[in-house]
Amino acid sequence: MKIIDRQPVSQVTAVMPASPGFPVIEPGTLGACPVAPDALRGIKRQQTNPARWNGQGWQEFAVAIRDCGIELREHVAARGTFVTDAGGTAYGLPHGVVIARSAAQVADLLRAAQQHRVPVTVRGGGLTTEGESVAFGGVLLDMTGMSRVLHVDTDALTVRTEAGIFWHSLAEELRRQGMDYLSAPLNLTSSVGGTLGVGGIDVNSPRLGCSADQALALQVVTPTGEIMECSDTQNAELFRRVILGYGQFGVITEATLGIRRYTPLRMHYFYYDTLRTAIEDLQMLDRNDASDYSGILTIMDCAVNLLVAFDTPEREAAFKANWQPQLRGHGESGFALCMLKRYALRPWKLSEAWYLLQRKRELFPELQRPEYMRDGLMFERSVVFSRAVWKFWGSRQMVIPDLATSAEKFVAAVERGNAVCRKYFPHYTLYMVGIKLRPEHRPHYEMSCIPPDAEGWAYGCEFEPMLDGRVYSRDYFQSFKNAIYDIGVGMGASYYRFGGMMKGYIRRVFGDEVVDRHLAMKRKADPAMILNRDVIF
Amino acid sequence: MKKSKDHAACSGCSLCLLVCPMWRQHRDISLTAHGYAKALQHGAAAADLAAALWNCTLCAACDPVCPEQIDVTGMILNLRRQLVHPHAQDLQARMEGQTTRSPATQSTAASVLLPDPALREHPGTLARIAALLGIAVAEDDGADIALALEAGVTIPPHRLKRFLDPLRRLDKIIVAEGLLLKHLRLWLPKVRIVSLGEALSSHAAVRRSLRATDLYVIEPRAYHADYQRLVRHYDGLRVASGSAFNLDLQRIAIPATACSLPQRSEVNMADDEGRACWMLHGRKVSRIVVESMADRTLLAKVSGVPVVHLAEVAADA
Repeated sequence: MKIIDRQPVSQVTAVMPASPGFPVIEPGTLGACPVAPDALRGIKRQQTNPARWNGQGWQEFAVAIRDCGIELREHVAARGTFVTDAGGTAYGLPHGVVIARSAAQVADLLRAAQQHRVPVTVRGGGLTTEGESVAFGGVLLDMTGMSRVLHVDTDALTVRTEAGIFWHSLAEELRRQGMDYLSAPLNLTSSVGGTLGVGGIDVNSPRLGCSADQALALQVVTPTGEIMECSDTQNAELFRRVILGYGQFGVITEATLGIRRYTPLRMHYFYYDTLRTAIEDLQMLDRNDASDYSGILTIMDCAVNLLVAFDTPEREAAFKANWQPQLRGHGESGFALCMLKRYALRPWKLSEAWYLLQRKRELFPELQRPEYMRDGLMFERSVVFSRAVWKFWGSRQMVIPDLATSAEKFVAAVERGNAVCRKYFPHYTLYMVGIKLRPEHRPHYEMSCIPPDAEGWAYGCEFEPMLDGRVYSRDYFQSFKNAIYDIGVGMGASYYRFGGMMKGYIRRVFGDEVVDRHLAMKRKADPAMILNRDVIF
Repeated sequence: MKKSKDHAACSGCSLCLLVCPMWRQHRDISLTAHGYAKALQHGAAAADLAAALWNCTLCAACDPVCPEQIDVTGMILNLRRQLVHPHAQDLQARMEGQTTRSPATQSTAASVLLPDPALREHPGTLARIAALLGIAVAEDDGADIALALEAGVTIPPHRLKRFLDPLRRLDKIIVAEGLLLKHLRLWLPKVRIVSLGEALSSHAAVRRSLRATDLYVIEPRAYHADYQRLVRHYDGLRVASGSAFNLDLQRIAIPATACSLPQRSEVNMADDEGRACWMLHGRKVSRIVVESMADRTLLAKVSGVPVVHLAEVAADA
């Protein structure tokens, strides 16, 4: 491993002034405050993409990195592959693409980028929705080229992996040894590095915390090209900044993660006709450690599914004896009767009933495909849920604003967000899950999706409109997102997706003191402000 | 008929990467269906993607996982048709040669087997399959047509007619070549077309002979061409036999030997050993049972355990 001993980012801890003494960035590219509400130039609060980098110095940069032996692809076919992200509303082309192959190569790239002031956008699975992994000029670094598992320790229950690996590929490798990851997004093609940089939520997050909390150590290439190992005990400040750091303080090239023995899931579904009741029951289960997995997924706000699952028959039995009787939800047949009564009394809403029925017919079989189920056990939860996600919610555009709050504020936040969804879209889905917080990781959580007032658990809700083939303008989407995010500002909440096109909310949500401190650290760590520009700073 | 979706429908979810052998070998999106589709969406032409397109082994794993239900293999073959394969002239000549041969003997059988070239090289196994299934072996197996399909070479209509006419009157055709199977279903919608793997693995003697310590290697092309049905078939076989299968967590078949034309004609070299090692990684097996003869030599080399063709397991029992 190549370690270059320069001043590490870990030494940058002091609160620093925001402006004097720092290098001037390209005039006109970044404003005085890159996270001001109007930081993205254009129509205030309706602007989407940031300005494209002007390309100054690109040719010299290209020569420099090719001299280092780095393959730089400039053909339109290579660049076009990365023209947008999973959101499909932000479009931009890099000047060139580099596939990550080693930490040393990434370090060479970042040193040259600092010298020539060329923006570097790092991309893993590309599952951002606000253009965070879209390059608006500069170089796009495709981390999926570094996607091999390096070592599995079944005794210590750890895995060391290159960070560009998809969680699903990691699961494939682990399963051959009877192991599984702890907590990962319910999406097969999220990358480990990208997830550790933003959080990562699973239906076992109410018990195990977010994916970022499972990272034990990282290899990071800093924006100035140092290759550093960091953890809670080694270069701890760098570790704190990189975990949940939205890619501002380094490129994660390797990660050591906690793992566990693999077990299939024992699934249970309960159905509610109000959001409030379902959320209250979810939180009751979480508070009492009543299940191993929990979460809420809605078809409509009157058809709410509380998912509960278990790793062992003992835990399942304890749930059935102690907690299931307290739940106010119905089984599938009970809920069908409930809906029958509801629409018998509201015949003018029969089209709504028809939508529910159709959705159920499409969705439920997909969640119970026999090749993944046996004797009531679900064997591949990530496959089942991820395939369903892409099949029923995925499309060329995905708009998923979210709110993350303390447990106490969550019901109100969801109900207000739901009202906004109703106003904007005929059909939408809400996905809610708790996140167990680890007190010792509180420094990691600063300026992240974890709201500062959350104790014990934070709760997140994604508001995803079903686009159903309809065409909406980007301004319409942005207006919807703003309406959701305004709720967060008013309630002192946070967001999972506060970067990219939503970064105009950063100062309003986190406050000047925190933002200025992070901006100062960023300027110190990344003098030319080249790494993941406009994601946050 | 429902029109197939093409590259324009790709949402970039990357699910196809997870199952792509070329992705596993190179970790380069440009060599995957995702890469082709996104490049095409941004204005690239087939010629811009030529090197990448010839890399594809046409294992068809990307077809069943695509949530947009794009006919990915069809898309790739369409793009190849816009290119000129280095062996295009040889293939044209071979097809013309087939048309000038004397007509095949008319068989009275209601079913025939179309073997692939690897199976033809093992006449003993081929005879055993024919006896086991009680089926005749077709003289014209359409191997040249299968190669032309892969290479994107236009098939002369008179050659196709000569191949298909004797097959139209049949009740059932058992096909060893997965790509040919997919096209035969389109060309002969009234005839029941079954893969050799499915036919043999449905045979009672073969099913009884599978062991819990076997690794059963499904031939990917035929499996992925009829995934929704066959995933249930093989899941039932897994439950009944207790054998391990070359399936990943998505129940997609991991290929071993890349026997597609670009690899055979050395336009591109595939990492067969790497894929076979990944298939075997972490598995403890005492015997490997293959559906495709093409896999037998390679798996014997890398595994160190006996490797037998599916038709041979009944004799082993």
